[in-house]
Amino acid sequence: MMHKLLAIDRRIIFALVFLSVAGPLLAGISLPITPTNEVKAAYDQFEKLDAGDIVLVSFSYGASTQPEMLPMSRAMLRHAFRRDLKVVAICLWPEAPGLAQQVLEEMTAEFDLEYGVDYAFMGYKPGNFSVILNMGQDFHSAFPQDQWGAETGDLDLTRGLRSLRDFDLVLDLAAGDSIEFWWIPYGQEKYGFTFVAGCTAVMAPDLYPFLDSGQLGGLLGGLAGAAEYETLIDRRGSASTGMSAQSMAHLVIVVFVLMGNIAYFAVRRTSSEQRS
Amino acid sequence: MRDTYIFLGVLLLFAAVNIGLVANGTLAADWTGLGIIVAAGMTLALYSFLYKDNPLFKFAEHVFVGVAAAYVFGQTWYPTLYGELIAEWTDPGEGETPNWWLLAPTVLGLLMLTRFSLRFGWLSRYAFAFFVGLAAGWTIPRYISSFILAQIEPTLQPLTWSLEGLNLLVVLVGVIGVLVYFFFSVEHTGTAGHISKVGIWFLMISFGASFGYTIMARISLLIGRVTFLLDDWLHLM
Repeated sequence: MMHKLLAIDRRIIFALVFLSVAGPLLAGISLPITPTNEVKAAYDQFEKLDAGDIVLVSFSYGASTQPEMLPMSRAMLRHAFRRDLKVVAICLWPEAPGLAQQVLEEMTAEFDLEYGVDYAFMGYKPGNFSVILNMGQDFHSAFPQDQWGAETGDLDLTRGLRSLRDFDLVLDLAAGDSIEFWWIPYGQEKYGFTFVAGCTAVMAPDLYPFLDSGQLGGLLGGLAGAAEYETLIDRRGSASTGMSAQSMAHLVIVVFVLMGNIAYFAVRRTSSEQRS
Repeated sequence: MRDTYIFLGVLLLFAAVNIGLVANGTLAADWTGLGIIVAAGMTLALYSFLYKDNPLFKFAEHVFVGVAAAYVFGQTWYPTLYGELIAEWTDPGEGETPNWWLLAPTVLGLLMLTRFSLRFGWLSRYAFAFFVGLAAGWTIPRYISSFILAQIEPTLQPLTWSLEGLNLLVVLVGVIGVLVYFFFSVEHTGTAGHISKVGIWFLMISFGASFGYTIMARISLLIGRVTFLLDDWLHLM
């Protein structure tokens, strides 16, 4: 029995994980979500701003992490626009522009916002951290034109922006190492702006020390972080819907880990008894 | 042979499902509908690897690599290389003169490509020397400030009789334990051995947390694709 359990076909595990995800989604099960302190801190940073304040949103993720990053992008942009904040969006990942444009169009249509006045989209710029240094010295030099070729100096929103210091809040939505290796050393530390971040769950554990040091003003980690943010803005979205599936899949994985360990130790014990 | 039948059966089932979806109006017979069908097909083809490596998976994988490479090239070429470099020389705008200073970084960038030549590869050293020097000058002070000095401050806060104080104590013990574990100039026996064992425990807990978060991330991606299949494609949600 225990030997069979250890040699279980991995495809059975895949099928059960799939069913544990699909089942709650089809059934529409909803579980309560309690926001954590780091997500509340990110929310509070937006709440502290006044109407008309300018937020720089950096999109640094691609299609492969969209299921995690899109819900938090949507939730945070919705919060910003609901509070009448102005948003300047940039992309530091080559894959990001299409995804950023999609979520910007969706959110700005929802709030009926005017391009160039309420928000601007500067597009992608290669160069990783050097773009951040460039923006710190001269924003117009880093992004001389927006995504559609309009001069940065011709847009009402970006005309007066000279440096990263001119932004009231900077938000990085990242699936790579841009938060800790680009924005914190070359941006936040150097120019002293308030900085919050949203990242994939894989990255989140590495970023907690920056919360303690105050280099990060708030953090959303993965789909769970996005679901918590949706709870805070009182607008359930795809992240909240996905959390029941997430919990069920975790339960299945924990059960398999426990079963695997029990079977392993039982087999080892039987083998040592047979040897003695 | 059995796998070939399964392969053909899945293909036929996929075609039948899509014909049904389009016929009953669940999916629109336009470019959006076609896009959803292609995306669903690619998703299923990539997940088919979980059963076994197969031609459908390989096809989807190669298409993804090709599309991603072309997309990145397009994003880098049009707005930046063409828009901010070549256009600066060929179409500088009314009343503006071409910015010839941009030739310097352009030449350095091109020198890097000489790595592909056995004869001229040595030229790339100039570009790399410039880049390494520049990056080191940028990085070293910024990393010392951000990752060492800024992290020392919250680690060395005064300890108090509170939950926050306990948290600080745990962080302090963890930092010291891990630092001792990675200090290889002293043999890890006696007191140093005990402290380094504490460090190992902290590292293990840290790896466990990272692994847990990684599972969460991967399941999130699965949720995203399953939601797409059930909602956008099959309209079952």
